[in-house]
Amino acid sequence: MDFKRIGEDIVNKAIKAGADEAEAVIENVKEFNVNVRKGEVETLQKSVSKGLGLRVYINKALGLSYTSDLSPESLDETVKRTIDLAKITESKPWQGLPDFGPQPLADLDLYDPEIAAVPDEKKIAMAKEVERIAMAQDKRITNSEGGSFSNTEREAGLFNSKGISCVLKETSCGFSAYVIAGEGDNMQGGGWSSNKRFFKELAPVEDVAKTAAQRAVEMLGARPVETNKVPVIFDRYAARSFWMGILFAIDGDDVFRKTTFMTEMLDKPIASALITINDDPTRRRFIGSVPFDGEGNTTRKITVVDKGVLKMFYYDSQTARKAGVKVHTVARRYGYKGGPGAGFICITVENGKDDPAELFKGVKEGLLVTGMRGSGTDTTTGAFSVGCSGFWIADGAKAFPVDGVTLGGTTLEILKGIDKVANDLDLRGSLNSPSFRVAEITVGGKKA
Amino acid sequence: MNRHKPHQSMDRRSFLKKGMQTGALVVSYPVWKHLSGSDRQALFAAETAPAAGLDKDILKKLLEACLSRGGDFAEVYYERTVTNSLSLDEEKISTATRGLDMGAGFRVVQGEKTGYAFSDDLDFARLKEAAETAALIASGAAAQKPQNFTSLSPPSYYLVKVSPDTVASKEKAALLIRANSVARAFDKRITQVGVGFYDYSKRIMIANSEGLYAEDTQTLSRFGVSCDALEGSQRSTGYESKAGSFGFEHYSLSQADEFGRKAAEMAIRMLPAEDAPAGEFPIVIAKGYGGIFFHEAIGHSLEADGIRKKTSCFWDKLGQPIASPVVTLADDGTYKGAWGSVNIDDEGCVGKNTILIDKGICAAFIQDKLNANLMKKGQTGNGRRESYQFYPIPRMTNTYMHAGEAKPEDIIKSVSKGLYIVKIGGGNVQPTTGRFVFSVTEGYMIEGGKVAQPLKGIMLMGSGQEVLKNISMVGDDLLVIGGGTCGKDGQAKPTGFGNPTLKVDKITIGGKKA
Repeated sequence: MDFKRIGEDIVNKAIKAGADEAEAVIENVKEFNVNVRKGEVETLQKSVSKGLGLRVYINKALGLSYTSDLSPESLDETVKRTIDLAKITESKPWQGLPDFGPQPLADLDLYDPEIAAVPDEKKIAMAKEVERIAMAQDKRITNSEGGSFSNTEREAGLFNSKGISCVLKETSCGFSAYVIAGEGDNMQGGGWSSNKRFFKELAPVEDVAKTAAQRAVEMLGARPVETNKVPVIFDRYAARSFWMGILFAIDGDDVFRKTTFMTEMLDKPIASALITINDDPTRRRFIGSVPFDGEGNTTRKITVVDKGVLKMFYYDSQTARKAGVKVHTVARRYGYKGGPGAGFICITVENGKDDPAELFKGVKEGLLVTGMRGSGTDTTTGAFSVGCSGFWIADGAKAFPVDGVTLGGTTLEILKGIDKVANDLDLRGSLNSPSFRVAEITVGGKKA
Repeated sequence: MNRHKPHQSMDRRSFLKKGMQTGALVVSYPVWKHLSGSDRQALFAAETAPAAGLDKDILKKLLEACLSRGGDFAEVYYERTVTNSLSLDEEKISTATRGLDMGAGFRVVQGEKTGYAFSDDLDFARLKEAAETAALIASGAAAQKPQNFTSLSPPSYYLVKVSPDTVASKEKAALLIRANSVARAFDKRITQVGVGFYDYSKRIMIANSEGLYAEDTQTLSRFGVSCDALEGSQRSTGYESKAGSFGFEHYSLSQADEFGRKAAEMAIRMLPAEDAPAGEFPIVIAKGYGGIFFHEAIGHSLEADGIRKKTSCFWDKLGQPIASPVVTLADDGTYKGAWGSVNIDDEGCVGKNTILIDKGICAAFIQDKLNANLMKKGQTGNGRRESYQFYPIPRMTNTYMHAGEAKPEDIIKSVSKGLYIVKIGGGNVQPTTGRFVFSVTEGYMIEGGKVAQPLKGIMLMGSGQEVLKNISMVGDDLLVIGGGTCGKDGQAKPTGFGNPTLKVDKITIGGKKA
């Protein structure tokens, strides 16, 4: 499909039809997905899908539409209807396309040309293998939700009437296993996966299988504990959910509206000085990388929190204009159906100095969190409350698995209470964190 | 409130369906503003006939292609969905969007195996290619021919006289403007008001190799108001919404007044909220929103896929007591005008009302065609899919608890120290363990049988098995609501839920105060 021609063409047509500004995003996605269960293929899916989204402004009033039908008649109709929509909405002075024009784009090496040649049989075999090995790890593994393999090849383009014309070809692939340990009222599930841009960089099947099995078995017999205030260690994978809540609370538009508890916190300490957070979508070949953002702006590494001090709020070009700030804008976009919105792209909470074992030292009684059900942070009030699972710590060592407990507090107190950060960062996706310890959090459990 | 921020499911079709999400199923009950949609006026009216070119002869040829390698069963699912949304923010009608999704999906089943492929290009060659791709799940020669079609004509459970898709945007805008001005005028501490109207019309057609041919137009609409309030450093939010398979005749300016006022009232009421306690307490759940609790904590664990694979904690519980005798739970796709109602499900089974738990006894599971066949049970009209891009899986429609006999005020009076839960924001469950969490958006202390101060940061946590047994009182005031979507295996689907006022003798509350 000639993205550039279709994209530039529809932008031109929208301008001719009366739009002051226009932007088109186009996507074409090829997918393969297989799920196996107990050694047999359960579902096999192959698909190609496409779509176009059109955003126009007339007198700074917005019209937005999308279609999965890219026939010339449908696109002409889409232009006409989108223009009509922009006549229904009201003007806001900050609305419109970004002020920047075409940007230099880096080649981040996100496309694996070899993956298309990997035969389906090989992918199916990997899905079967990861499940087989996971199930064979331990006698207590009794059942399986299955193994899977997926890969995606995506072409995307963003074109606007200010000359932006970016295209992207990217691949991703991954496989996973999810197995169940125990029986009756004592069942626990555990899963793991590996996801990469390049097929050859996927983790060994054995490693993923063993981790999945371990995560199921180690939780057998999990039980709640009594309500108490204790030190809490967030393991590096569970920690990702925690940071998500903090990142959601630093939206520039929410700050402008004063609807987030972070409103007054710019350039002030929000966390322990051990915490530094960067947003860096520019690592080559990395699963969380992308050369341009949801408005066509070149991505770059930015510092969100520096030694505990909040350095920025997230703005896209419209919310930045509205708030009257001059910043590097970062816009996210989910597919072609919606407009852009400010938000993080690829976060790394930076490593601390301590070995993970160091975090347990001196903890007489505490909780190691390995699973969080939600992020915990109420972005309006800053209240923190989340359900979690993990392990009770007694005398500096894992004692028994815990489930059915909650953590409660306020987000800022928890952030400031971080007293140790480990050096165990494992870059896996768009949100990455080392393990860390908080001096004290209320763990809610059995009796009051 | 998390503006613009969908639950961080990342790419919903990413391959982390099972691995990283630890098998959790998530339901969100979003305020309207979390959802995107589109504006009025379809490219063509949503009710137009099935796809040009998808007549019954073509369908038969495509089903033959599906069965060319020997599958047991084949199905074509065609969809054309027009989505509209209009929203008001910062006192102005700010976004009008519309969208069109159109395509056909092909499913081939052989034994326990499913092959699936779809095409958004309705050219016959492309469709045939997709059919042949789905056929690859089977290996061998064609064993059977598709049967002649018999058209299904099911009764209708939708309350749609005037399709919202045909209503001029300015009529919808009038509702938004009215709700905004009422909410703003309510109290000067109201700092932000958002109002939205969302609707979709989904035209579907299903034809399968067993001769089933069915069509349906599924229309849903939702109107919602949300408010933020600020006083000193105290912040709060409030919201009110209505959603269902409703035509535009179900909305009015006086209702917009009411919703604007109620959303503002809630935000102001919650301003002085204190930190929630932590520990075990009795709770009273008000009518309506508590249904999300049954959806998560029990409903997902009764879906037939997890039952058949023995990965659900209820897999061997049919006919056994799993709840207190005051609990009767239904999944009802036939509830008139409800958000999750279906005349037919997404594999052509007519909507049904299924009693899942009958006076505490596990009575039935939530079935789609594949699982019902493999388990030798009847279909329950719960084979649902997000769109033509997905194969159907067993999903809830409207899940609600039947009303009991207690007066709601007597239920509150029976609690000396506990919590009163009015609105639940969202939650998730691990069906293997039955463990769930819910975040509460409106809740209060109960002291001495009376509703006392508002609380913030309430999290409910427990296991479905335990909570079902701890339900001791059920009110006479059932309310079924909707507006949210449930996520499972990467597919989002509108589901309704409901409950009468009820009491749970003890549940774990995660709050700040130890």
